[in-house]
Amino acid sequence: MRPPTVISVTESTIDINGLVERISVPTTGAAAIFSGMVRAVTRLEPRHETAYLEYEAYTPMAESKMRQVADEIRDRWPAVEGIAIVQRVGKLDPQTPTVLIACTAAHRDDGVFEAARYGIDRLKEIVPVWKKEVGPGGERWVEGHYIPRPGE
Amino acid sequence: MNKIRILLFATLRQQAGTKAIDLEVPDGTNVRAIKEQLGREFPALRDSMGTVLTAVNREFAFEDAVIPANGEVALFPPVSGG
Repeated sequence: MRPPTVISVTESTIDINGLVERISVPTTGAAAIFSGMVRAVTRLEPRHETAYLEYEAYTPMAESKMRQVADEIRDRWPAVEGIAIVQRVGKLDPQTPTVLIACTAAHRDDGVFEAARYGIDRLKEIVPVWKKEVGPGGERWVEGHYIPRPGE
Repeated sequence: MNKIRILLFATLRQQAGTKAIDLEVPDGTNVRAIKEQLGREFPALRDSMGTVLTAVNREFAFEDAVIPANGEVALFPPVSGG
C-alpha cells in the first residue's frame, strides 16, 4: 500500500494534529513535526517588528515541487512512512503557523527528524512561494537567495 | 509568431501591475530572448530581468530553453516561502 503523502497550498488554518493523524499508519510510532510561524519581533539584524506577512504562491508549480521534495525525502530516508508538506498563503498574523513539514515512521531512528529538517530547507530552495513583510517601517518582499540548477 | 502568456509573481507582478502579460514572440524563441523582449517592452521590469527565475510548464527553465507553443511561462524572483 502506498504511504500517505499530503501536499497542500491552502488559505485555511493548518490543522497540525489532523495532518499528523492523516500521515500515520498502524506501524507508526514516531512523528517529527516542523511548524514555521509568523515572527512578530526579529532580533537578528536588521532588528524589526512585523505586523503581518502576505504569502503568494504559483500554486500548481508549488504543489508539483512539494511532491518532488517528498520524493527526495523518500529516496534519502526509505524508512519514512507518511509525509505532510503544507504551505499556507494569504495575509497571516504573528504566531500563525505558515508552513508544516511532518514525517512519520516506525521509530525515531528511522530518519524522521532529518527528513523534516531536509523538507523545510528544500521547500525554501525550490517551491515557488514568496512572502512580503508588512511592519511599522513599511512593506518589504523577503529576498530569496537560492538559484536552482538544471534538473532541480 | 506565437502569442504566449507570461505569469508574473511577487515583485515582478508588483512592478508590472499585472499577474500576466500576453507577448507576441517569434517561433522557437528561448528564455533569454523572452527576458530581453520583456525588458524592452516593459521598462518597469527591465532591472529585474538579470536576477529573475523562469519556469516553463512548471519546471525551472534556463537561458537556451526553447519556449514550446502553448507553453506556460512564469517569471519570478528567487523563492522565499516557508
